[in-house]
Amino acid sequence: MTSRVLLHVGTPKTGTSYLQDVLFRNREVLEAAGIAYPATRHDSHFLAALDLMQLPWGGLQAEAIGAWDDLAGQVREALSSGAGTAIISHEILATASRAQIGRALESLGHRVGEGAGTEVHLVLSVRDLVRQIPAEWQENVKHRAQLRYGAFLDQIRDPERSGRIGAWFWGVQEIPDILDRWGQELPPSHVHLVTVPPPGGAPELLWKRFSQAFGLDGIELDLEGERHNPSLGVPETTLLRRINRKANAELAPADYRPLVRELLAHQTLSRRTQSPRLALPPDLHPWVQELSATWIAEIERRGYDVIGDLGDLVGAPPVADYADPDHPRERQVASAGVDAITALLLDNARLRHEEDRLHAELADVRGALERAYATPSYRVRHWLVVRLENSRVGRGLLGVYRRARGRSSRSA
Amino acid sequence: MSTSLDTGRARAWAWIAHLRVGGTTPWLAWTSADAPDLGRFLPGAQQLELLRRLNRAGRPSPTLVDRVLNASAPGRGRPDLELVGVDETRRFGPPAVDPAGLSDDELLRVATGLLAAHLARVRVDPAPPRRTRRLRARYELAGDPWLASTYTAELVADGRPAGGGGRSVHVLGADVATMLAHTWARASFGRGAPGWADFLATVRARRRLPRRVDLPGVVERFRARPHTGQVGVVLDLGALPRLVGVRRLDPVADVPAHATELARQVGAALSLHVLPAEQARLLGSVLRPRLERVAGGLPAVPPEHQDWVEDAAFAIRQRLLRARYPVVGDPDSLLPSPSEPPAGSVLDLAIELLMEEVG
Repeated sequence: MTSRVLLHVGTPKTGTSYLQDVLFRNREVLEAAGIAYPATRHDSHFLAALDLMQLPWGGLQAEAIGAWDDLAGQVREALSSGAGTAIISHEILATASRAQIGRALESLGHRVGEGAGTEVHLVLSVRDLVRQIPAEWQENVKHRAQLRYGAFLDQIRDPERSGRIGAWFWGVQEIPDILDRWGQELPPSHVHLVTVPPPGGAPELLWKRFSQAFGLDGIELDLEGERHNPSLGVPETTLLRRINRKANAELAPADYRPLVRELLAHQTLSRRTQSPRLALPPDLHPWVQELSATWIAEIERRGYDVIGDLGDLVGAPPVADYADPDHPRERQVASAGVDAITALLLDNARLRHEEDRLHAELADVRGALERAYATPSYRVRHWLVVRLENSRVGRGLLGVYRRARGRSSRSA
Repeated sequence: MSTSLDTGRARAWAWIAHLRVGGTTPWLAWTSADAPDLGRFLPGAQQLELLRRLNRAGRPSPTLVDRVLNASAPGRGRPDLELVGVDETRRFGPPAVDPAGLSDDELLRVATGLLAAHLARVRVDPAPPRRTRRLRARYELAGDPWLASTYTAELVADGRPAGGGGRSVHVLGADVATMLAHTWARASFGRGAPGWADFLATVRARRRLPRRVDLPGVVERFRARPHTGQVGVVLDLGALPRLVGVRRLDPVADVPAHATELARQVGAALSLHVLPAEQARLLGSVLRPRLERVAGGLPAVPPEHQDWVEDAAFAIRQRLLRARYPVVGDPDSLLPSPSEPPAGSVLDLAIELLMEEVG
């Protein structure tokens, strides 16, 4: 039996977090069905991707050292132990260089021009640029970016892609280029495109497409996961960007992640669903339509396996009431600000209660210690040591005593 | 029938073969297409131009040549770029480039990645522990982190570990601009730092100096600690040997601005290979001694930051004098003096190191 690796390399904002959550939580069910999803934690494949692509990520890179080789080793082991299929999935893999892709494929057992190697299938989930462009800006803001939406749009329209923003955006979003890099050594029939349905469709449709692409149909999976990457509205994203401008200098990445991204963005501001949604500016629609049309034509020409409809990449027409995040309604931003302050106050109150509890616990421990030290002989010895430590002769005598008793008594 | 793509690729592979044997002809001046395909894919323009620069600087070893051609630049930035003129029909991906027109920063990403990968492979045996001297002064050095850590390391190597009950604490200082440069250097050779400009901008945004540079604050913190003897500020470093009970101490060497910047970038790439403590150890014990030999000055405070740095220096001086903390040296030496931005190319230095270390 040919062993297969399904390598899902992107793109971001296409339901990847949900998919990875389902795969992670159902590892055992999948294993029983002959599908390996080797991961010891939710972000195992993310760390492997960071390692493969040599990407620093707010200090996380220390946890990523050697992670790709570990993952590739687990995949090879699973396949040699009888699993017919192994799945690797992370969306930032989309931006890997040809050299990194070569290394990745080789480490998974792929052999160029040889039939005996592992059969690697590439899966790329894709969504229309009309939604991807604002979503990527928002994702940048949730990762400490301070730039306005207009500046972001300017950067991604720079034909040279000389800035970091533009280089990253097209690295993970330009579908034909991603497929050029990742698919260079694979037959088109081993390249599978999963399109994200247009907004307003049946919510389970995307999962059905993923299920088909990954061969999960017929397996009883628990699909009720909680892990997703919720989106924010216009005033909420503006508020977050302003917070970044003010707080970035002081707030370490390790604190930013739980406080700003999790507490504020995901747990608080994303619940404000009535505010205007981020959208592509209407004047950019013609450019995006033209670009999307060239992509669709190119993908059709290459003959990949498309799961869904390439027409999904066209995107929705311009919104009637475009809300510009660079010129938001300040009232809405202030309202989002009040929600943010409230969330921070509540969290602060929770921490204060926790602090009080720990203080009480500490006081108990101190009391117990003091009672243990309250013996007369301990007090005399303590008094003597303090006196001796304050003079050169005393310190010398203490040194002689400690050497005589051995080093273990030094702290006595 | 050969296409323009075939011709372009053949020309590129011929150029790579030329670079492999030490050639220095720029891509746009290269015309020969007399070479077979030598690999699965063409290396990026950044890697090829770096190799050409290495060839211009000397004769890189075959190992180094292979490493350059197989490298990918670490971190975020432009991806591996294609050579202009290889595939005129290409419609997707970043625009192809003339490699000679690439900025130093693009080449540095590749170079620092290679230096970091090399550094990560270096095995350093820890120095044998020096027997602690029985007769020694009890001391602790604080303040300027570059000076304090370097002098402490020298004293420890001489069998004089810091600490002990009743120890004297010497808070080392220099002019505030130098202390800021030292703080940045210490972080760059440690667990990482932003660039000098961003470092200064961050300090300014915080509206307070780094904790260890705020000398009166350091004195206050140590005075509040139990089992601490006298705490004083030392601005005249010539007096330090006497204070710590030795005849002499080697002066602490500074690393010039561009060399520190190189260390910072190598450190960022090194963090992808080793844990933070090992990163600091490798940067400090392997790279730093080499970079101390580089000529050049400390980074200068740019004009837009001079006012607040001067104000901060003046405030420290006043606080020290008002509190009557013991100061060895002239408190006026805390005030920064204007300095010119130092010259020195980070890329040239990276190439020099690559030739030495990996070559």
